[in-house]
Amino acid sequence: MEEKRISEKESLEIITEMISRTKDRYIGDGNILMLWGYLTVVMTAVIWALLALTHNGVWNWLWFAIWIVGGIATPIMARKNQRRNGVKSYSDKISSSIWSIVGYSGIVSTLCCLGFLLLKGVDCWSMMFAFALIIVPFAEMAQGIVVREKSFLVGGGIGLLTGIFTVCCIAGGVTLEANWFLPLFMVAFIFMMIVPGHILNSKYKRQ
Amino acid sequence: MKELNPLLHSQLRLAVMSILMNVEEADFVYLRQKTESTAGNLSVQLDKLSSAGYITVEKGFVGKKPRTACRVTKKGKQAFEEYVDTLRQYIGL
Repeated sequence: MEEKRISEKESLEIITEMISRTKDRYIGDGNILMLWGYLTVVMTAVIWALLALTHNGVWNWLWFAIWIVGGIATPIMARKNQRRNGVKSYSDKISSSIWSIVGYSGIVSTLCCLGFLLLKGVDCWSMMFAFALIIVPFAEMAQGIVVREKSFLVGGGIGLLTGIFTVCCIAGGVTLEANWFLPLFMVAFIFMMIVPGHILNSKYKRQ
Repeated sequence: MKELNPLLHSQLRLAVMSILMNVEEADFVYLRQKTESTAGNLSVQLDKLSSAGYITVEKGFVGKKPRTACRVTKKGKQAFEEYVDTLRQYIGL
Protein backbone atom coordinates (compact mmCIF):
# COMPACT_ATOMS: atom_id res chain seq x y z
CA MET A 1 0.00 0.00 0.00
CA GLU A 2 1.32 3.39 -0.94
CA GLU A 3 0.61 7.01 -0.18
CA LYS A 4 -1.60 8.26 -2.99
CA ARG A 5 -4.83 10.12 -3.69
CA ILE A 6 -7.86 7.93 -4.00
CA SER A 7 -11.42 8.13 -5.29
CA GLU A 8 -14.47 8.01 -3.00
CA LYS A 9 -15.24 4.48 -4.15
CA GLU A 10 -11.69 3.36 -3.36
CA SER A 11 -12.00 4.94 0.10
CA LEU A 12 -15.00 2.82 0.84
CA GLU A 13 -13.21 -0.28 -0.42
CA ILE A 14 -10.20 0.43 1.83
CA ILE A 15 -12.38 0.88 4.90
CA THR A 16 -14.29 -2.34 4.17
CA GLU A 17 -11.10 -4.28 3.46
CA MET A 18 -9.34 -3.10 6.64
CA ILE A 19 -12.37 -3.88 8.79
CA SER A 20 -12.45 -7.41 7.39
CA ARG A 21 -8.69 -7.83 7.97
CA THR A 22 -9.01 -6.89 11.64
CA LYS A 23 -11.88 -9.32 12.06
CA ASP A 24 -9.45 -12.25 12.44
CA ARG A 25 -10.07 -13.24 16.03
CA TYR A 26 -6.88 -13.61 18.04
CA ILE A 27 -8.25 -15.35 21.09
CA GLY A 28 -4.71 -16.07 22.23
CA ASP A 29 -3.34 -19.32 23.54
CA GLY A 30 -4.60 -21.18 26.59
CA ASN A 31 -1.29 -21.09 28.49
CA ILE A 32 -2.46 -18.73 31.24
CA LEU A 33 -5.56 -20.82 31.79
CA MET A 34 -3.46 -23.99 31.93
CA LEU A 35 -0.98 -22.38 34.31
CA TRP A 36 -3.74 -21.64 36.84
CA GLY A 37 -5.39 -25.00 36.19
CA TYR A 38 -2.31 -27.17 36.64
CA LEU A 39 -1.01 -25.01 39.49
CA THR A 40 -4.28 -25.34 41.41
CA VAL A 41 -4.69 -29.06 40.74
CA VAL A 42 -1.08 -29.93 41.61
CA MET A 43 -1.05 -27.77 44.76
CA THR A 44 -4.39 -29.20 45.87
CA ALA A 45 -3.06 -32.73 45.39
CA VAL A 46 0.13 -31.87 47.32
CA ILE A 47 -1.78 -30.24 50.20
CA TRP A 48 -4.27 -33.12 50.29
CA ALA A 49 -1.44 -35.67 50.47
CA LEU A 50 0.41 -33.70 53.18
CA LEU A 51 -2.75 -33.27 55.26
CA ALA A 52 -3.55 -36.96 54.96
CA LEU A 53 -0.03 -38.03 55.87
CA THR A 54 0.74 -35.60 58.70
CA HIS A 55 -2.73 -34.52 59.97
CA ASN A 56 -1.18 -31.08 60.45
CA GLY A 57 -3.26 -28.07 59.33
CA VAL A 58 -0.15 -25.92 58.91
CA TRP A 59 0.13 -27.23 55.33
CA ASN A 60 -2.94 -25.17 54.45
CA TRP A 61 -0.63 -22.13 54.21
CA LEU A 62 0.61 -23.68 50.98
CA TRP A 63 -2.61 -22.43 49.30
CA PHE A 64 -0.92 -19.04 49.15
CA ALA A 65 1.65 -20.50 46.75
CA ILE A 66 -1.07 -20.64 44.06
CA TRP A 67 -1.67 -16.89 44.33
CA ILE A 68 2.03 -16.04 44.49
CA VAL A 69 3.17 -18.17 41.54
CA GLY A 70 0.07 -17.41 39.41
CA GLY A 71 0.14 -13.70 40.29
CA ILE A 72 3.77 -13.34 39.20
CA ALA A 73 3.58 -15.48 36.05
CA THR A 74 0.26 -14.18 34.65
CA PRO A 75 1.29 -10.58 33.76
CA ILE A 76 4.53 -11.86 32.19
CA MET A 77 2.63 -14.36 30.03
CA ALA A 78 -0.07 -11.81 29.14
CA ARG A 79 2.56 -9.30 27.92
CA LYS A 80 4.19 -12.02 25.83
CA ASN A 81 0.80 -12.88 24.30
CA GLN A 82 0.09 -9.28 23.36
CA ARG A 83 3.52 -8.82 21.81
CA ARG A 84 3.02 -11.93 19.71
CA ASN A 85 -0.41 -10.83 18.43
CA GLY A 86 0.56 -7.18 17.95
CA VAL A 87 -2.96 -6.00 18.62
CA LYS A 88 -5.29 -5.47 21.54
CA SER A 89 -8.92 -5.72 20.57
CA TYR A 90 -11.91 -4.41 22.53
CA SER A 91 -12.74 -7.98 23.58
CA ASP A 92 -9.15 -8.36 24.91
CA LYS A 93 -9.71 -5.25 26.99
CA ILE A 94 -13.00 -6.58 28.39
CA SER A 95 -11.45 -9.98 29.13
CA SER A 96 -8.44 -8.52 30.93
CA SER A 97 -10.73 -6.21 32.95
CA ILE A 98 -12.89 -9.18 33.99
CA TRP A 99 -9.84 -11.12 35.22
CA SER A 100 -8.42 -8.04 36.98
CA ILE A 101 -11.68 -7.82 38.96
CA VAL A 102 -11.32 -11.51 39.85
CA GLY A 103 -7.72 -10.92 40.94
CA TYR A 104 -8.56 -7.95 43.15
CA SER A 105 -11.58 -9.79 44.61
CA GLY A 106 -9.28 -12.69 45.42
CA ILE A 107 -6.84 -10.42 47.25
CA VAL A 108 -9.65 -8.76 49.24
CA SER A 109 -11.21 -12.15 50.10
CA THR A 110 -7.86 -13.51 51.25
CA LEU A 111 -7.24 -10.44 53.42
CA CYS A 112 -10.75 -10.77 54.94
CA CYS A 113 -10.18 -14.43 55.82
CA LEU A 114 -6.74 -13.59 57.22
CA GLY A 115 -8.25 -10.72 59.24
CA PHE A 116 -10.93 -12.98 60.72
CA LEU A 117 -8.27 -15.55 61.64
CA LEU A 118 -5.79 -13.11 63.19
CA LEU A 119 -8.25 -10.75 64.90
CA LYS A 120 -11.09 -13.07 65.91
CA GLY A 121 -9.50 -16.49 65.73
CA VAL A 122 -12.30 -17.57 63.37
CA ASP A 123 -11.42 -19.94 60.52
CA CYS A 124 -13.42 -18.97 57.45
CA TRP A 125 -10.98 -20.23 54.80
CA SER A 126 -13.64 -22.53 53.34
CA MET A 127 -15.14 -19.37 51.83
CA MET A 128 -12.07 -19.20 49.58
CA PHE A 129 -13.20 -22.45 47.93
CA ALA A 130 -16.60 -20.89 47.33
CA PHE A 131 -14.83 -17.84 45.91
CA ALA A 132 -12.70 -19.96 43.58
CA LEU A 133 -15.74 -21.91 42.41
CA ILE A 134 -18.18 -19.01 42.02
CA ILE A 135 -16.32 -15.87 40.94
CA VAL A 136 -13.70 -17.62 38.77
CA PRO A 137 -16.24 -19.70 36.75
CA PHE A 138 -18.48 -16.65 36.45
CA ALA A 139 -15.58 -14.67 34.98
CA GLU A 140 -14.68 -17.55 32.68
CA MET A 141 -18.25 -17.74 31.38
CA ALA A 142 -18.34 -13.97 30.85
CA GLN A 143 -15.11 -14.22 28.87
CA GLY A 144 -16.57 -17.15 26.94
CA ILE A 145 -19.48 -14.97 25.88
CA VAL A 146 -17.15 -12.12 24.87
CA VAL A 147 -14.74 -14.25 22.82
CA ARG A 148 -17.44 -16.71 21.72
CA GLU A 149 -15.60 -19.73 23.12
CA LYS A 150 -17.93 -22.63 23.98
CA SER A 151 -15.39 -24.53 26.12
CA PHE A 152 -15.27 -21.55 28.52
CA LEU A 153 -19.03 -21.69 28.92
CA VAL A 154 -19.10 -25.45 29.52
CA GLY A 155 -16.04 -25.47 31.81
CA GLY A 156 -17.23 -22.38 33.67
CA GLY A 157 -20.69 -23.92 33.99
CA ILE A 158 -19.28 -27.08 35.61
CA GLY A 159 -17.21 -24.92 37.98
CA LEU A 160 -20.20 -22.78 38.86
CA LEU A 161 -22.38 -25.81 39.66
CA THR A 162 -19.63 -27.08 41.97
CA GLY A 163 -19.46 -23.61 43.51
CA ILE A 164 -23.18 -23.49 44.18
CA PHE A 165 -22.95 -26.95 45.79
CA THR A 166 -20.00 -25.70 47.92
CA VAL A 167 -21.92 -22.63 49.10
CA CYS A 168 -24.91 -24.85 50.00
CA CYS A 169 -22.59 -27.11 52.03
CA ILE A 170 -21.10 -24.12 53.88
CA ALA A 171 -24.53 -22.58 54.53
CA GLY A 172 -25.94 -25.95 55.61
CA GLY A 173 -23.09 -26.59 58.04
CA VAL A 174 -21.71 -29.55 56.05
CA THR A 175 -17.97 -29.81 56.74
CA LEU A 176 -15.85 -29.67 53.59
CA GLU A 177 -13.69 -32.66 54.44
CA ALA A 178 -10.44 -32.97 52.57
CA ASN A 179 -10.99 -36.58 51.52
CA TRP A 180 -14.04 -35.82 49.36
CA PHE A 181 -13.97 -32.08 48.80
CA LEU A 182 -10.40 -31.68 47.55
CA PRO A 183 -10.83 -34.28 44.77
CA LEU A 184 -14.07 -32.51 43.78
CA PHE A 185 -12.21 -29.19 43.77
CA MET A 186 -9.50 -30.67 41.51
CA VAL A 187 -12.05 -32.14 39.08
CA ALA A 188 -13.82 -28.76 38.89
CA PHE A 189 -10.52 -27.03 38.03
CA ILE A 190 -9.66 -29.65 35.41
CA PHE A 191 -12.93 -28.90 33.60
CA MET A 192 -12.75 -25.17 34.28
CA MET A 193 -9.17 -24.42 33.33
CA ILE A 194 -7.14 -27.35 32.01
CA VAL A 195 -9.60 -28.69 29.41
CA PRO A 196 -10.51 -25.23 27.96
CA GLY A 197 -6.79 -24.33 28.04
CA HIS A 198 -5.88 -27.34 25.88
CA ILE A 199 -8.80 -26.67 23.52
CA LEU A 200 -7.71 -23.04 23.16
CA ASN A 201 -4.10 -24.07 22.53
CA SER A 202 -5.09 -26.47 19.76
CA LYS A 203 -7.22 -23.73 18.15
CA TYR A 204 -4.36 -21.27 18.49
CA LYS A 205 -1.95 -23.65 16.76
CA ARG A 206 -4.41 -24.05 13.87
CA GLN A 207 -4.76 -20.24 13.68
CA MET B 1 -21.03 19.39 -0.51
CA LYS B 2 -18.46 19.26 2.31
CA GLU B 3 -14.91 18.42 1.27
CA LEU B 4 -13.42 15.10 2.36
CA ASN B 5 -10.80 15.52 5.09
CA PRO B 6 -7.52 15.56 3.06
CA LEU B 7 -5.59 14.04 5.94
CA LEU B 8 -7.77 10.94 5.87
CA HIS B 9 -8.41 10.88 2.15
CA SER B 10 -5.23 9.01 1.34
CA GLN B 11 -4.79 5.29 0.90
CA LEU B 12 -2.43 4.40 3.73
CA ARG B 13 -3.62 6.90 6.34
CA LEU B 14 -7.22 5.84 5.78
CA ALA B 15 -6.23 2.17 6.06
CA VAL B 16 -4.41 2.82 9.35
CA MET B 17 -7.34 4.78 10.76
CA SER B 18 -9.81 2.08 9.67
CA ILE B 19 -7.79 -0.54 11.55
CA LEU B 20 -7.33 1.57 14.66
CA MET B 21 -11.06 2.37 14.77
CA ASN B 22 -11.66 -1.37 15.08
CA VAL B 23 -9.19 -2.23 17.82
CA GLU B 24 -8.15 -0.87 21.19
CA GLU B 25 -4.46 -0.76 20.29
CA ALA B 26 -2.24 -2.04 17.49
CA ASP B 27 1.51 -2.13 17.18
CA PHE B 28 3.65 -1.03 14.25
CA VAL B 29 4.32 -4.56 12.99
CA TYR B 30 0.61 -5.44 13.00
CA LEU B 31 -0.25 -2.25 11.09
CA ARG B 32 2.50 -2.89 8.56
CA GLN B 33 1.27 -6.45 7.96
CA LYS B 34 -2.38 -5.50 7.65
CA THR B 35 -1.79 -2.51 5.38
CA GLU B 36 0.95 -4.28 3.40
CA SER B 37 3.03 -1.12 3.46
CA THR B 38 6.73 -0.43 3.86
CA ALA B 39 8.11 0.49 7.27
CA GLY B 40 9.39 3.87 6.07
CA ASN B 41 6.13 4.93 4.46
CA LEU B 42 4.04 3.73 7.39
CA SER B 43 6.27 5.58 9.80
CA VAL B 44 5.82 8.86 7.87
CA GLN B 45 2.03 8.47 7.75
CA LEU B 46 1.82 7.62 11.45
CA ASP B 47 3.75 10.80 12.20
CA LYS B 48 1.26 12.83 10.14
CA LEU B 49 -1.74 11.27 11.92
CA SER B 50 -0.05 11.76 15.25
CA SER B 51 0.79 15.42 14.51
CA ALA B 52 -2.88 16.01 13.66
CA GLY B 53 -3.82 14.53 17.02
CA TYR B 54 -5.73 11.65 15.42
CA ILE B 55 -3.64 8.91 16.98
CA THR B 56 -1.23 8.47 19.85
CA VAL B 57 2.04 6.69 19.22
CA GLU B 58 3.67 5.19 22.26
CA LYS B 59 7.18 3.85 21.95
CA GLY B 60 8.31 1.39 24.57
CA PHE B 61 9.82 -1.99 25.24
CA VAL B 62 8.30 -5.37 25.90
CA GLY B 63 11.13 -7.30 27.46
CA LYS B 64 14.15 -6.35 25.39
CA LYS B 65 12.25 -5.78 22.16
CA PRO B 66 11.09 -2.30 21.12
CA ARG B 67 7.37 -1.87 20.54
CA THR B 68 5.46 1.04 18.99
CA ALA B 69 1.81 0.99 20.02
CA CYS B 70 -0.79 3.12 18.25
CA ARG B 71 -4.24 4.13 19.45
CA VAL B 72 -6.88 6.34 17.92
CA THR B 73 -7.74 9.46 19.93
CA LYS B 74 -11.16 11.03 20.56
CA LYS B 75 -10.33 13.66 17.95
CA GLY B 76 -9.34 10.93 15.51
CA LYS B 77 -12.59 9.02 16.09
CA GLN B 78 -14.58 12.18 15.47
CA ALA B 79 -12.63 12.98 12.29
CA PHE B 80 -13.08 9.43 10.98
CA GLU B 81 -16.83 9.48 11.66
CA GLU B 82 -17.16 12.82 9.90
CA TYR B 83 -15.12 11.46 6.98
CA VAL B 84 -17.42 8.44 6.64
CA ASP B 85 -20.52 10.68 6.82
CA THR B 86 -19.15 12.91 4.05
CA LEU B 87 -18.16 9.85 2.02
CA ARG B 88 -21.74 8.57 2.28
CA GLN B 89 -23.00 11.86 0.86
CA TYR B 90 -20.55 11.66 -2.05
CA ILE B 91 -21.47 8.11 -2.90
CA GLY B 92 -25.13 8.73 -2.22
CA LEU B 93 -25.65 6.02 0.38
